[in-house]
Amino acid sequence: MSEEFEPNIVAFLCNWCSYAGADLAGTSRTHYLPNVKIIRVMCSGRVNPLFLVNALQQGADGVLISGCHPGDCHYLEGNYYARRRFMLMHKLLEHVGVDPGRVNMSWVSASEGAKFADVVQESVDKAKAAGPMDQFRRRQINW
Amino acid sequence: MADYKFAKDKLAGVLAGLKEYKVFAPTVTGDVVRFKEVDDPAAVTLDYENSNVPPKELMFPETETLFKFRLGQADIEPEVPAEDARRLVFGIRPCDSQAYSIVDRLYEWDFNDPYFVNRLRSTVLVGLACSDPCANCFCPSLGGGPANEEHLDAIMYDLGETYYLKTLNEKGDEVAKALGDVLEPAGADEAAAAGKQAEEALARIKRSIDTEGIPEHLPALYDHPFWEQFSDRCLGCGICTFLCPTCHCFDIQDEIEVFDGRRARMWDTCMFAEYTLHTSGHNPRPTRKERTRNRISHKYSYFPEKFDVIACVGCGRCINYCPVNIDLLDILEKSKQAESKEAETA
Amino acid sequence: MVDVNELQEKAREVLAGDDVRRLIGWKRGTYGYEAAPTVLKDVSEVDQLIFDATCVQNPASFITLEEKRPVPRGQEPDTRKIAVMVKGCDSRAVVQQLVEKAYDRDDVIVLGIPCRGVIDRRKAEKLFGESTEPVVASTNGDKVTVEVGGEKKEADRKDILMDKCMRCRYPNPLVSDFLLGEEVEKWADDEFGDVDEFEKMIPEDKWKFWDEQFSKCIRCYSCRNVCPMCYCVECVVTKTRPQWTRRSTDISENTVYHIQRAWHLAGRCIECMECQRVCPVDIPIMTLNRKLTRDVKEMFDFEPGVDVESEPLLACYRPNDPEEYIM
Repeated sequence: MSEEFEPNIVAFLCNWCSYAGADLAGTSRTHYLPNVKIIRVMCSGRVNPLFLVNALQQGADGVLISGCHPGDCHYLEGNYYARRRFMLMHKLLEHVGVDPGRVNMSWVSASEGAKFADVVQESVDKAKAAGPMDQFRRRQINW
Repeated sequence: MADYKFAKDKLAGVLAGLKEYKVFAPTVTGDVVRFKEVDDPAAVTLDYENSNVPPKELMFPETETLFKFRLGQADIEPEVPAEDARRLVFGIRPCDSQAYSIVDRLYEWDFNDPYFVNRLRSTVLVGLACSDPCANCFCPSLGGGPANEEHLDAIMYDLGETYYLKTLNEKGDEVAKALGDVLEPAGADEAAAAGKQAEEALARIKRSIDTEGIPEHLPALYDHPFWEQFSDRCLGCGICTFLCPTCHCFDIQDEIEVFDGRRARMWDTCMFAEYTLHTSGHNPRPTRKERTRNRISHKYSYFPEKFDVIACVGCGRCINYCPVNIDLLDILEKSKQAESKEAETA
Repeated sequence: MVDVNELQEKAREVLAGDDVRRLIGWKRGTYGYEAAPTVLKDVSEVDQLIFDATCVQNPASFITLEEKRPVPRGQEPDTRKIAVMVKGCDSRAVVQQLVEKAYDRDDVIVLGIPCRGVIDRRKAEKLFGESTEPVVASTNGDKVTVEVGGEKKEADRKDILMDKCMRCRYPNPLVSDFLLGEEVEKWADDEFGDVDEFEKMIPEDKWKFWDEQFSKCIRCYSCRNVCPMCYCVECVVTKTRPQWTRRSTDISENTVYHIQRAWHLAGRCIECMECQRVCPVDIPIMTLNRKLTRDVKEMFDFEPGVDVESEPLLACYRPNDPEEYIM
C-alpha cells in the first residue's frame, strides 16, 4: 500500500502581517493544505536562519518564513534584515546540496488570505518534488 | 611464535583470508589515512607514516551509545560490546598499540569500563614496524621504538617487495593459522633484513627528550610564569587532544527525541573552557594558562604518579598538527631549564 | 623584500614604549615549513622575530584571543595596547574586527608587512619531504627557495604557495601604523572560478560530496578556534541551554555545525584559509565560505575586511536588496 508522500512544512509567520493573513485565510474558509505547521514570531526579523537548519534537521521537509512586505514592517526594518539573511541562507543551503525548493520565503500581508493559501500550495508542491528530507536529518532509529 | 612472509601484491589475499575477523586497517582517502573497517581491500594502504586520527577510535569511538531508553520502559540495556567478538587491527604502528595499554590502565582502574575493555580484549593487534619515521616522532624516549613488539600480537615489516610477518603470541599464531597458505615461511634472511630495518629506522629518529625527573618536577612549576610562553600562543583548539592516542577524556550526554533517547559518550578535550565549567559559573581553569599547564602536567606527571607510566607514546601528532607550532618537546625542555632557574634562586 | 633587521628594530621601538603590553609576530618554528606565532612581552625577546614565506599563521586571531582575568580590587585594568604584525590577508581580519567594534583602533598598533605569498606545508612536503629542522624560505621573483636538510631547493611559486596566494587581491596590508617593507604589486585576481565549478553540480551530487566530507569531521573545532573572526565568548556549538547542536559526531550534527559556522561567517570571512589549513581530516571548508563571499560581493557589493568605515553586512540593509526567491 503506497501512500503519497506528504511533506511537513514548518512555517515561521510574523505576528502582524503573515500570521494575520493566515488567520484571514482560515476565517474566510479558504482551503489551504494541512501540511504546514505554523510557528508565530513577532517579526520575520526575529527568525534566526539557524532555525531553518534546525527544522530541517529535526525532520521538516520544507521551511517557510513569511513576513510583512518591505516597507510595511510593524517594527519598521525587521523584514529588511530578514530578507538579507534569508537570501544568504538560501544560497548556503543550496551549496550544501539541499534542494532549493525546501527553503522558502514570502511576503504576505494581513489582508492576503488567498495569497497565503497560494504560498502554502507552492511550498508543499516544491517540497513534494524534492522528496522526504533525508540528507542531514537526525537519525532516530539506528543510533 | 613463528616467522612468515607474503608478497606485497598478495595483500588483498591476506585481508580476504582474515574474513573470520572484523578487520580494521589504514584506509586512505585523498591525503588522509584513517583506520576503518575494511570493505574494499583496494582502499587499504600499508604505505603510510601514521594515520591522521589515531586508532584509539577503534577501541574508544568518537561517539558511542552507552544505552538506549524509551518512555514507559523500565529496563535499560547497556550496549556493551561483546567480549568474544573477533576483531583485528591490521597494520597498527607500535606507538599506537603502546597507547592502548596506557589508556587501559585507567579504564580498568577503579571502574572496569566494559565498553573499552571488551573491545581491547577481543581485538588482535597485527602491527607494522616503521621503516620511515616521521619528522616529529620520538617514541624511543618513551620506552617505545619503530619496531617495538611489546604490545602487539604479531608484527609486520615492509621489506620492499615482501612483508615479513612475525607472530608474537598465541593470538598471533591463530591469525597465521587462519591465513594458512597465503603465508609462506620466512627464513633467516628476512629476519635479518627486518632487524636491520629496525636499526636504521631507530637511527632516523632525530627528536628525543630525556624524561628522567620530569614527572617529579612539573608540579613544582605550578606557579612558574614559563607556562605563559605557550599558553599565550595556544588557540585552545584541542587538536592535540583529539589526535593524541593516549588522550581519553569524554563527555556524556543524553540525546532525547520526544519518546526515546540514548545516553552517549563522545570525545571531549581539557583544552576547551567548558571542560571544567561548573554549573555555578565558576571555572577552576579559567584561562588557557591553567589548561595548557594541566594538559602537560597530566600527561607527564599526574598520570605517571598514579599509573607508573607517562601518558605519551611519542607519536608526534600533537607537534605535527598544532596550527601554531606549540611543540611538546620544546615545552618539556624549557620546563627542565625553568626548574633549574628556580633552584638557583632558591 | 622585508629586511629582518628593520623588522626587529621597529618591533623593539614599539615594544619599548610604555603604552604597549604585548607584540604578536612570528618566530622560527621548531620543525618543518611553518613558522610559529609568538607573543612577546619584553624588548629582549625581539631577536626571535622573523618574516618569510613560512609565516603562514594569522596573528590577528591572537588579538581577540587574549583572556582578561577579573581585576583584583584596587587595581586598574591594563589598558595598554597590543602591537601585531600582519600580512595583507591578516590585515583584513584586523579591519573586519574594527568594523565589528571588537576593539578600538587605538587599542592596537598594526605593523603591516607586504607579503609575496606563504608556503603550503602539504605541497612542500610532497615536493621536498618532511623536515625535522625548521625550514628557512625566501621568495625571488617567481621562485621560492627553501633550505631543507642542509640543501637549497627551489620551486615555482604556483607549485608551493597556498592556493589563496595565487589569487591574492590584497598583498599589502589594508591598515597599518607602520609599513615594514616595500609595497608589492598585486599579481593576481579572484574570479571565484572554483565556486562556479562547484555550482555546476546537481544538488544530489553536491550532497554526495558533502556527505563524504562531513562524515570525516571529528568536531575538534580547530577551524573555529583558528579563525580570526570566531571570537564569541560563548559559541553556539557549546551552548547547552538550549542546545543547538549535539556533540555526537554523526552526519546530521556535523553538517549542521559546518552550516552554522559558514553562516556566522557570512559577510565576515576574510579568506585567510586558516580553517582549511588546520583541519586534520582535510575537509574543504573554504568551499562553503567562498560561495558566500562571492554571493555577498555579487548581491550586496560588499567585501569584508576592506573598509574600516563600512557597516557589518547583516547589520544594515538597502530598500532595493535582491529578493529573487521570495514569493
